[in-house]
Amino acid sequence: MDGLDILKKDWQKDNTAYPKHSYNEIYKMILKKSSSIVKWIFIISLLEFVFWTLISFFLKDTKSMQRFEQFDADTILIPLAIIGYVVLAYFFYIFFRNYRTISATDNAKVLMENILKTRRAVKQYVGFNLIYLVIATVVVLFIEFDQDQQLINQAQQASANGDVFKFYATIIITTAIFLAIAIGLLLLFYWLVYGILLGRLNKNYTELKKLEV
Amino acid sequence: MNKELEHSFVELLEKHQNIAHKVCRLYTNNLDAHNDLFQEITIQLWKAYPKFRGDAKFSTWMYRVGLNTAITLYRKNKRRVNTQDFDAVQFKIKAEDYDDTEEEQLKLLYKAVHQLNDIEKALVFLYLEDKNYREISETMGISEVNARVKMNRIKTKLRTILNP
Repeated sequence: MDGLDILKKDWQKDNTAYPKHSYNEIYKMILKKSSSIVKWIFIISLLEFVFWTLISFFLKDTKSMQRFEQFDADTILIPLAIIGYVVLAYFFYIFFRNYRTISATDNAKVLMENILKTRRAVKQYVGFNLIYLVIATVVVLFIEFDQDQQLINQAQQASANGDVFKFYATIIITTAIFLAIAIGLLLLFYWLVYGILLGRLNKNYTELKKLEV
Repeated sequence: MNKELEHSFVELLEKHQNIAHKVCRLYTNNLDAHNDLFQEITIQLWKAYPKFRGDAKFSTWMYRVGLNTAITLYRKNKRRVNTQDFDAVQFKIKAEDYDDTEEEQLKLLYKAVHQLNDIEKALVFLYLEDKNYREISETMGISEVNARVKMNRIKTKLRTILNP
């Protein structure tokens, strides 16, 4: 008889003294709040959507943005803003649709897949935002160079001094460093939060997938 | 209506609670964690209950939700660090049924099962509960053949743990 069958014999005897919860104890339990990872994923995902929406609102209100609106750049900025909202709506819809498919009564693999799918929508949205951030920065920079009189004067001044390369290089490098730090911090945050939250799920999903090979 | 639903659910769970306790037994190693997981399984069962259809057996349905909670949904509580020898302390096996070697062997086996990963534990659990490979494959979402192959590997693994 191998090990597992010895164990099974014992298990089936059912002589283990498990805790026994009364009707009232169980009733109290169903009133408590769940602390499942699905709940956490839902909360964090919503916060992410809110975070990115707020960021775009705050940026609009800053002084430099208000000054920026005087420039003749609507043909670029309005489509950029519309794209931003359409993409937000799209990913939010996908996120919700996937979230609603999560059910504890599915089989283990489907349940894991649905959770990961829900996460993927948010992940893609974040990815989109990071790319959007880079593109928007580049566009804004171009418009500034093209239309901001103050900047144009500075550029001409630098050009007269023979420092034109240094002038542009400083601005571009500063912007690039700022972007890299911002993106780096965001990625670090994601890595930490989802490493903690989804580490076990990813491990178990990989294990299940491995059985299929 | 809601009261009726609550009542029928609590009554069913009270009757079948051992299934959830057994899941907790494999996936936790102290009483606090056991109770925590039991609580979460209860909530997940209750949340899913409105969709529970009487044509599935409540116990069968519980296996699925219970395992899903243990493997996927439950967020392990990191605050607790003390791990005690599980069966020896919490659920003392009634010793009169066993002679010393048998008891020693069982202790080793339970310990070995505890060392398996989450997925392996799920397969072992279903096997111990005398589920056939079709049921195992349906619960886990893998093919019957793969379930069989994996079970054999687990058996070998346990054998080596017992007879190094």
